[in-house]
Amino acid sequence: MALSRRAFGLGLLGASVAGTGTYFAIKDRPEFQGLIGNRTELFGFLGGEKQAFIEDADVVRALGNHGLGLDARVAGSVEMSREPALLGQNPQFLWPSSSVMVDIARASGVKVRRDQVVLNSPIVVYSWEPVVAGLTKAGLVTATMSGHYELDLLALLSAVLAGTDWSELGVDVLYGRSRLVSTDPNRSNSGFMFAGLVLNLLSGDVADMEALDVVGEKARDIFAGMGLKSSSSGKLFDQYLAGGYGAEPMVVGYENQLVEWILADPERWQRIAKSTQPKPVMLYPRPTAYSAHPLITIAEAADRLLEALLSEPVQQLAWMKHGFRGPLGAVSGSADPAIAGLLPDGIGAVLPMPAANVMLAFLSRLAA
Amino acid sequence: MTRLFQIVLTLVLGAALAACGSGTKVPFTITAGSENEVLQPVVAAFCDQKGYECSFAYKGSLDIGLGLGDGTLDTDAVWPASSVWIDMFDTGRTVKHATSIAQMPVILGVRQSKAEALGWVGRDVTMRDVLTAVEAGELRFLMTSATQSNSGASAYLSMLTSALGGGAVLKPGDLERAEVRETVQTLLSGVERSSGSSGWLAELYLKAAEEGTRYDAMWNYEPVLKETNDALRQLDGDLLYAVYPADGVAIADSPLGFVDRGRGAELETFFTDLVAHLQSDEVGRRIAETGRRIPLAAGGFTAKPEPDWNFDPNRLVTAIRKPEPAVIRQALDLYQGALRKPSLTALCLDFSGSMEGEGEAQLKQAMSFLFTPELASEVLVQWSPADQIIVLPFDSSVRGHYAGTGDATEQQGLLDVVDNERADGGTDMYACAGEALDTIAATGNLAAFLPAIVILTDGRSDGDMDGFLQKWRQSVPHVPVFGITFGDADKSQLDTLAEVTSARVFDGRSNLSGAFRSARGYN
Repeated sequence: MALSRRAFGLGLLGASVAGTGTYFAIKDRPEFQGLIGNRTELFGFLGGEKQAFIEDADVVRALGNHGLGLDARVAGSVEMSREPALLGQNPQFLWPSSSVMVDIARASGVKVRRDQVVLNSPIVVYSWEPVVAGLTKAGLVTATMSGHYELDLLALLSAVLAGTDWSELGVDVLYGRSRLVSTDPNRSNSGFMFAGLVLNLLSGDVADMEALDVVGEKARDIFAGMGLKSSSSGKLFDQYLAGGYGAEPMVVGYENQLVEWILADPERWQRIAKSTQPKPVMLYPRPTAYSAHPLITIAEAADRLLEALLSEPVQQLAWMKHGFRGPLGAVSGSADPAIAGLLPDGIGAVLPMPAANVMLAFLSRLAA
Repeated sequence: MTRLFQIVLTLVLGAALAACGSGTKVPFTITAGSENEVLQPVVAAFCDQKGYECSFAYKGSLDIGLGLGDGTLDTDAVWPASSVWIDMFDTGRTVKHATSIAQMPVILGVRQSKAEALGWVGRDVTMRDVLTAVEAGELRFLMTSATQSNSGASAYLSMLTSALGGGAVLKPGDLERAEVRETVQTLLSGVERSSGSSGWLAELYLKAAEEGTRYDAMWNYEPVLKETNDALRQLDGDLLYAVYPADGVAIADSPLGFVDRGRGAELETFFTDLVAHLQSDEVGRRIAETGRRIPLAAGGFTAKPEPDWNFDPNRLVTAIRKPEPAVIRQALDLYQGALRKPSLTALCLDFSGSMEGEGEAQLKQAMSFLFTPELASEVLVQWSPADQIIVLPFDSSVRGHYAGTGDATEQQGLLDVVDNERADGGTDMYACAGEALDTIAATGNLAAFLPAIVILTDGRSDGDMDGFLQKWRQSVPHVPVFGITFGDADKSQLDTLAEVTSARVFDGRSNLSGAFRSARGYN
């Protein structure tokens, strides 16, 4: 059948109008946004330890498939949850690194729509082979059946408080008093989480206000004894790696930090493994605390981010490429071969954090 | 239309090619500690390859910190010796991506024969041993000013930590303890020459060695001692033996950080690429070859140990734990205001006719800064009551001779003297320097002071330079003669004095107070 040029032109125009109309009709429908490449940009704050994850091209693509793009700025968990200068920028979501922050955000007047833990990473202690060898001899560190190391954190804290020398803890290579260093709890979440763990351990239970009165001073001494404390977990971890075991024998961090560092350059890790130089070792405090990463949605549009982050592909990327565990501490998929066996599948003893009012009272005490 | 398009395209491409051909490069400035000068070629080569024109300015750690603090540092990147200075002063958080490039312990290099005489070769040496040697008058050393330079601050913090005992972290109350102050004051009495720059201090040691004078020892970075010993090998092989105090040393982490001045994302990407380049295995090896420590990088490569001077970059050194920023600041105030070796400073101030007007006003303003404790202490150059100050206003001869201590009231008296002077007459700085030398030589208990002459002048001096230098050579001790240039001063005259007397000339044309502040770091 012959088609006149006029009919063809009209047909083309009609199809174009229909296409454009359909596009405008569905472009903001979440179920189609991913398919047609149209994205809703969400603005919010997140903790620096998730920056590499959120900037990962695979994660960007996965969120794009949900029709979402992020304008996520890095801020400390405590400050994003209570600083008017940040909250005044009208973030659509907050993604701090501790569940306690949800209460703190509410107390600061944030209208929380939904909150749910999306990722988890246990607090660990990073040390070095010669230090771990000594601590193992002294009974403070034990190797598990799966080849991971557990640290008796209360025993170590007691030794630090008593001014015990490294040599008395079996670490003859280091001079002077034993020490364990975290970030500044008033500025950074890993230090904040560690502070909660210290309060719990010293009080023998999840610390409440009464317990704070009893053990607060001791806990304060632990942090005063650290001297200069870094303002961010990433910075402290870099200092640990760059300083070696003479400068940074033991620091507090997140489990996934070593994973990300290894995966950034797997060949480097293989070279280190083969070399004779002392290697980094991850110790799991027993008990430890989970740094949960709850997504707090403030704007309706951010609710979709929660669904996207909890989707299987994103959860797999979080574990396989960045070492983040899922909402309940479980793992999704097989980790990269470069880190196979590095992390235990499950964490045995986990304590919940003290309540927000206890933590805020302790932060004030530290800042005084 | 097509023709027009072709013409436009040709013009655009032509302009683009011309831009490439002209080699226009993007400027990028780096402000670094003097110890990083040796790495400049590595950085410059990368800049060149990427189409950037990198320029380098070398400043003391305090200068870098203060510049970050008040936003006056005109730079795209900072590279101080230690991240402490960024943590303390960068309150506006303008520095991003600060990354440690290397680890450098601050240790004591002791002339081999002296180390042997002290019985320090082949055994652990503690700060207590250093204290005993200083007390017995058997050891004096070069050390940069703790308030101006990181290596001096590091050595000082190691001394304080050692004085506490047991490797504990310094806390606020510790600085009030009499025994801690006494111990550190005694250790600092061993300072023979000071400076505001670690690199300059090493040059001073070498220059003296070339001229046949040997200082006993020098506190400096491990790789700077390696550089110094590499040069000493060419000279006579009397090396500096490395003493790593067994009770803890301060380690500098050499952070390179980007200063975000809103020049765009491309510049920031260039910076992160530069850092990645410096952390690559190949470049890491080159950096490690200088004696710098880079654990876990460069495939574990380190410089070859040199047992003849006890150098071993694989040796474990226990680092002292740095105190909180507020305690560091308090410790630095204590150093400047009480514990450092007192200075004996003769200030020759040019009040010749050419200073009339703005010159005179600026000089008086600079003196007002120097003799007002509240202002001087803001930048940690305040005097202590133990300091001796001699003010010598001069024109064609010395107009008067006014002495005082660093006590606040006496400083005010000296300031009044300066305020009463009026510019007039000719210029003879040599006459003033000669009188300053006589006055210093006549001071009792001279060994208890760090003596220096500082000359400020704005013109070409008449007078007898040879006569002064002859007198200087015969005098003991050899007092360094620093210069501060001003106006259209003939720098060559001051340079000659500084060169012969192992001192330095500071440019006071753009910031006279700043030049006096820098000079104080050397005294």
